[in-house]
Amino acid sequence: MSNSSPHALTAHWKKFLAVGVVALAIVWFFACKGAGNHDYRQGLSVLVGSLFWISILIGMLMLTMITRVFDAGWAPLIRRNWEHLIIALPILLIIGVAPLAFNSTFRHLLWEWTDATHMLPSGHAVGADPILQAKSWFLNENFFLARIALYVAIFGTLAVLLRRWSFAQDTDRTAGHTHRLHAVSAVGIPLGAITLTMLAFDCLMALSYHWFSTMYGVWFFALSIRLALAVTVILTYKLSNGGWLDGLLNQAHRHVLGCLMLAFTVFWAYISFSQYFLIYTANIPEETFWYNIREIDAATGFKSQWWGVSMYMIFGFFFLPFLSLLPYRTKIVPGRLLTVAWIIVAGALADLWFNALPRQMTQTDLTNYPEGFSVAPFLTSALFLDLLAIIGFGAVVIAIFLRSASRNEAIPVHDPRILESINYHE
Amino acid sequence: MNERNERIHGVACTFRNVSDVFHAAEKVRDAGWKNWDVHTPFPIHGMDQAMGLPRSPVPRLTLLGGITGFITGCLLTWYMNSYDYPLIVGGKPYWSVIFPFPVIYECTILFAAFGTFFGQFIFNRLPHHHHPLFDLPQFSRVSDDTFMIVLEARDPRFHLDDSRNFLLSLGGQEITVIRA
Repeated sequence: MSNSSPHALTAHWKKFLAVGVVALAIVWFFACKGAGNHDYRQGLSVLVGSLFWISILIGMLMLTMITRVFDAGWAPLIRRNWEHLIIALPILLIIGVAPLAFNSTFRHLLWEWTDATHMLPSGHAVGADPILQAKSWFLNENFFLARIALYVAIFGTLAVLLRRWSFAQDTDRTAGHTHRLHAVSAVGIPLGAITLTMLAFDCLMALSYHWFSTMYGVWFFALSIRLALAVTVILTYKLSNGGWLDGLLNQAHRHVLGCLMLAFTVFWAYISFSQYFLIYTANIPEETFWYNIREIDAATGFKSQWWGVSMYMIFGFFFLPFLSLLPYRTKIVPGRLLTVAWIIVAGALADLWFNALPRQMTQTDLTNYPEGFSVAPFLTSALFLDLLAIIGFGAVVIAIFLRSASRNEAIPVHDPRILESINYHE
Repeated sequence: MNERNERIHGVACTFRNVSDVFHAAEKVRDAGWKNWDVHTPFPIHGMDQAMGLPRSPVPRLTLLGGITGFITGCLLTWYMNSYDYPLIVGGKPYWSVIFPFPVIYECTILFAAFGTFFGQFIFNRLPHHHHPLFDLPQFSRVSDDTFMIVLEARDPRFHLDDSRNFLLSLGGQEITVIRA
């Protein structure tokens, strides 16, 4: 138990939980109503909303383990906040992704390959699709559900272990916990990398099951770390203005977070471009269709709304944060770093939408749809439901965070490197 | 400047410990000195602020190198694939920003690295084969157990006796005049 009394801020956790429960009740209501009308879109809001936060939390889990393995001197002060947060990861998988996967109505609507009677634009039913049959060793419902359960188990175990020994150190002051956490992290990094790759395959790539990209897991990792760092910047900004990091966070901490944001902005661009570049160069129809439906309106042949989203990602999610983060001043002036962090959060949401929302919808009217399908547009009223889902899941995450901070030390008071972290210098 | 000062590089003064040399450096900075330096056996955190040093100008040359590399990469691929010997490869356009991007991007990185590497040499005034400080017997101890502040004669504030007394007033131990 905690030595010092919890920070006043943590008392608000019940309010956040109430907001989260109300928002999620509304989202699930519309999702169920939509499913009753055979509309997948509201269910997709639940998936997008939960994956947005799952992505942030996976990034934080990986950063927790990476800073442990590298024994990063700057990290303990900031890492404790990740430790408060990561326990939300298995919880969000349970209240967000698992109900969609385990309920057969939602599963058949969102993951078309699970519905054998679903008609494809080619005129085949999914059950008779040779492409699906060839991948059925991986894409079959039992294995799919087992994998979802495995993600909860693996991420849950890592989160519990990383928290337990770190919190234990606050009271028993044993350096042995640090060594134990090294070992857990060394095993956890490859394990987490495989798990997050499979999760990206199942929750996003499998929404369009004909398509495949071997870089997809790395893309999801890059996006997760970018998001996690941006949210960390926003969170530590709030916590150093009236929270438990007041007076503890200095210019050097902002600088290191800014440098990492710059590095992962470049890494994300490198991965995202490489995926596009390889598919563009090879020019194989079973790969290029995924980008085609994100650029061209199948009915008219003109650029669709998705083309606008992709341009926003190039200029608003790469060039803007990249060029903004180059000068030293951006990385140390709190307001500027905060602005870039919000730009990255907005861009990441666009990227998630770009990956999750466009789907081919079979059309029998071949006069208006010569290709036999239409593509779900970007601008629909369901975007508001997506945002409500993000607010709902976010409020639950913040409630879990504050509750954890109220029951444990808000900073790791007996971490061997805590003084090094507080006095961190460029 | 008189003839005597022209042959002097500056005055060196040793300090016993980190705290002495750190506070002395702050006072030299506050006195408005520009041409001076601190020598220590190991890096001291916060010394750049204590000395009032500005950020290194090297990143500007890195950026300049990067921009040059980007333009070079664009011109290189455009000239070779689209102008000098137009060639269709894999049904792609003669030139667009997509297919030659690896070349453009590698050129950007290469030239940015050149900017950093040579920029560092330029701003550190390297190569620099000899320095008057090397003649000082005490200077070798700066890489072992001594801290040193050197006030250079080319600073307009420099006056041999005043500078010597200034350093002693800051807690300096042993004063040496460095011959140029």
